[in-house]
Amino acid sequence: MEGNNKSGSEPQLDEHTKLQHQFKLFQESLPKVSIVAYQLLLNELVPLSVSIENNIQDMTSSIEVSDEDTSTETETETECELSEQLERMKIEEAALQPSHKLIQELYEANDSKRDHIYERLSQIGFQIGSKLTELLIYNNNPNLHFESMDLLAVMKFICRDVWKQLFGKQIDNLKTNHRGTFYLFDYDYQPIQDFSLDGEISEKELQMVEPYLEIPCGIIKGILASLGFKGDDQVDVTVSFVDIPKDRVVSPNQFSKGINFNVQVTRTE
Amino acid sequence: MNTASTNPNTLQSGVLGGISSSKSLKAFGETIWKTKTAKVNAELFTLTYGSIVSQLCSDYQRDFNKVNNQLFAMGRSIGVRLIEDFIARSALPRCDNMVQTSEVISKVAFKVFLNITPHVTNWSSAKDAFSLILDENPLSDFVELPMDAMKELWYSNILCGVLKGALEMVQLDCQIWFVSDVLRGDAHTEMKVKLNRILKDEIPAGED
Repeated sequence: MEGNNKSGSEPQLDEHTKLQHQFKLFQESLPKVSIVAYQLLLNELVPLSVSIENNIQDMTSSIEVSDEDTSTETETETECELSEQLERMKIEEAALQPSHKLIQELYEANDSKRDHIYERLSQIGFQIGSKLTELLIYNNNPNLHFESMDLLAVMKFICRDVWKQLFGKQIDNLKTNHRGTFYLFDYDYQPIQDFSLDGEISEKELQMVEPYLEIPCGIIKGILASLGFKGDDQVDVTVSFVDIPKDRVVSPNQFSKGINFNVQVTRTE
Repeated sequence: MNTASTNPNTLQSGVLGGISSSKSLKAFGETIWKTKTAKVNAELFTLTYGSIVSQLCSDYQRDFNKVNNQLFAMGRSIGVRLIEDFIARSALPRCDNMVQTSEVISKVAFKVFLNITPHVTNWSSAKDAFSLILDENPLSDFVELPMDAMKELWYSNILCGVLKGALEMVQLDCQIWFVSDVLRGDAHTEMKVKLNRILKDEIPAGED
């Protein structure tokens, strides 16, 4: 009887490991690009969003200005052309502002402008997240069964597969109250590791890193939405810095704070 | 193959000695790609870029010229920093002329970052302008442009910006733009690089 059982389960196990093996080979055979290129692209999103915001504001204000011009047209044509040219040069220069200046600008921006920029980052993240789900559904991972996933399984999927795909590592810790509140801890969130600053980081420095965390928030939202947690469900994702636990081995050049995503899914009925 | 992979030292000095031998450059690029590069799924890269472009299009209300400019500017600030990584990774010396530069761009730089090797063709008679033909482009895989975008949008314009920024950092003031793109229905994707001038090394003003 026992022997029978063994021989019955072994080929099944083999089947599963075979699928795993195939999946691994498949993953390795996929086209690749350098991680540096990807990381630079991802991090450039923050200055990009600031720059878009500036340009849009410039556009609306320049329209207002030109409206005034036409109503009180007393200037000579040459003067008009000159000012027009100057205006154009200003816009071109603004478009070519270096990234660090734009980040500084974001830090000094007022609340409404900052909200706009954060909103844009979150939207881009959302789009990445929703498309990423498709990518992960169609890659035939034998461990994933999307048809039978509850919220907890989806969160585990985010912690394991999504993070692995995006940042080459898993979320370090997942906590939940089993009533729709989840805490996801990442103690070395990859895209900000290059920002590691010496010694104790000040409040100001943390605030400048903050916008970079809007993107993963958007990604989490996007994935939840594409797996059906939208509409009836209120999904809220916030993020904060946490201290790295004492028992964790920290490499010397690491960013000295961990990240905590707080995901709240409430069903409104 | 053997000499390339087993003895990086001779390869390095070979590249340093005679950068002109394009075959060794190709092997050099491949070695860096295989041994010194952390990699990420290209589809992830494609979809991330797609999300950025679509967000830009909606922010600029489908004013594709503005989108082109913004992508260029974004690429430029990436290129300015990407060149550091490239030089650190490859340790290549300065190029003497644009022919060498083009070889390094196509066989090493594109290989190391995007794992593609564009062809270099269409040299101008003065050897200061050339074309890069991108047979494969990881940015635009699976991408199809809507009708209104096909005429004006240069989808991969970020690449022009990256090259512009990176070349500027090695004292080459260039003009870079797309001539054609398969996404627009052209036969191939062609990028034009034209040297404006070589920027001079600034010498600090004397103390007196």
